[in-house]
Amino acid sequence: MPAGDALSARQQDDVVRAIRLARQQSQLPVSVYVGTLEGDSRATALQLHGALGDEAARTVLIAVDPGARRVEVVTGSEARRRLDDRAAGLAAMTMTSAFQAGDLSGGITSGVLALAEQAQTAKSLHTDTPE
Amino acid sequence: MTARTALRTAATVAVATALVSLSSTPAFAATHPDDGGEPGAGLSVIETLLIFVGIPAAMFIAVVILVNASSRARGPRYRPGLGWWAAPIWFNGPDDADVAVRTATATTGGGGASARW
Repeated sequence: MPAGDALSARQQDDVVRAIRLARQQSQLPVSVYVGTLEGDSRATALQLHGALGDEAARTVLIAVDPGARRVEVVTGSEARRRLDDRAAGLAAMTMTSAFQAGDLSGGITSGVLALAEQAQTAKSLHTDTPE
Repeated sequence: MTARTALRTAATVAVATALVSLSSTPAFAATHPDDGGEPGAGLSVIETLLIFVGIPAAMFIAVVILVNASSRARGPRYRPGLGWWAAPIWFNGPDDADVAVRTATATTGGGGASARW
């Protein structure tokens, strides 16, 4: 996909670094899409997540539509076990508060890091209800 | 006060008074003009405009250019509510995104969240 000029080279580096950090610290593959989500934004985001192929189940997709002012966080079936919808919602809120101030790259970066942090917390097995 | 001290004081006062009164006579002024006392050649209209209009205007323009240069070099930036113009960008996405999206089946059984701002 062609590189958008909405993010400067340095901002793109920041996002790439955050994605790398998430993978290193939490073994969480994160994919970030910034662009228009045509039609139903949720359905489009799910389609984009499906396009990730074999990795999709383990991957979290952050889809940002700055024009429509929407952000969608899609967790794959495996990723969802580590990141419940509450954690995804928290990361989405982290991002929107930065987006409101016009800080696109900063919001994405902190959103990716928030997801990584949430995924990092190990489950305490003795208090979890068995599935 | 000794006579010697009185003499020294009187001499100092006399010399100082003599210097001041000598240098303020009209004859002294004629041979020793003050700095800047003599008017030079006048400025032409063009020179006047250049100095008193041209230089301030040039400084003003220089400041405006310096202020605008950084944001101009950075290009347009995202502002909430003013639409979106840039091509999509996908970090850590599929290699051939257009084909991958067209042939993909939407994810089911996943989770996530939506938010607006």
